[in-house]
Amino acid sequence: MRATLEIINRMQADGVIGKYAIGGAVGATFYLEPAATLDVDVFVTLPASPGSKLLSLAPIYDYLKARSFKVEQEHVVIGDWPVQFLPPSNDLEREALTEAVEAEVEGVKTWVMTAEHLVAIALNTARAKDRARILQFLEQDAVNVDKLKLLLQRHGLLPKWKNFEGKYVDKDLNG
Amino acid sequence: MVKSSNNSKQARRKRLASLSFSEKVKILAKLRDRSKAIAASRRRLAEAAEKAARQ
Repeated sequence: MRATLEIINRMQADGVIGKYAIGGAVGATFYLEPAATLDVDVFVTLPASPGSKLLSLAPIYDYLKARSFKVEQEHVVIGDWPVQFLPPSNDLEREALTEAVEAEVEGVKTWVMTAEHLVAIALNTARAKDRARILQFLEQDAVNVDKLKLLLQRHGLLPKWKNFEGKYVDKDLNG
Repeated sequence: MVKSSNNSKQARRKRLASLSFSEKVKILAKLRDRSKAIAASRRRLAEAAEKAARQ
């Protein structure tokens, strides 16, 4: 992972990407016990091309391909990790990027989404693995529920949360 | 018995969660490699079964 993050930081220094934050299962591992995953989700802001309002991942792929990194479907293998670069697709993900916290892996600086943003994004995505991850955050007391609820309210996700709580959250967890 | 097993499982999860990010990332890499090995082994078994069915 060290090599992976060094390259991503280099991409940032070279202006290929702007701010970035690790999300998904690897991001969640910052707060929880490790859970198996095959790739790293890296949310990135992309510098807009002059004269174009469209954001494209092409500069990222061009940069990495020129340095002989292997592209496998939607991933680029950097170091020993397949990395998926994801531009934020809504205000919640944009905010998650802006408010990401600094972390360190083997002496290399990086950024990870906050626990509250990881839970909100998982709630929004709502696949089985996302629901399981939300429960892990709650069970391990790894998320500030008051802060989370404010965030969910801001992004119109409170009804979805109520639904989730009603279906999956044990009363013991609610206190 | 079940309660004690659940408690030790919870304690283990807590211990893992309290490791540094660097240590946890090393575990992630091991889990990833194991998942890949299992997937490759399943593929080999499926291919062998398919080959046997054809013969």
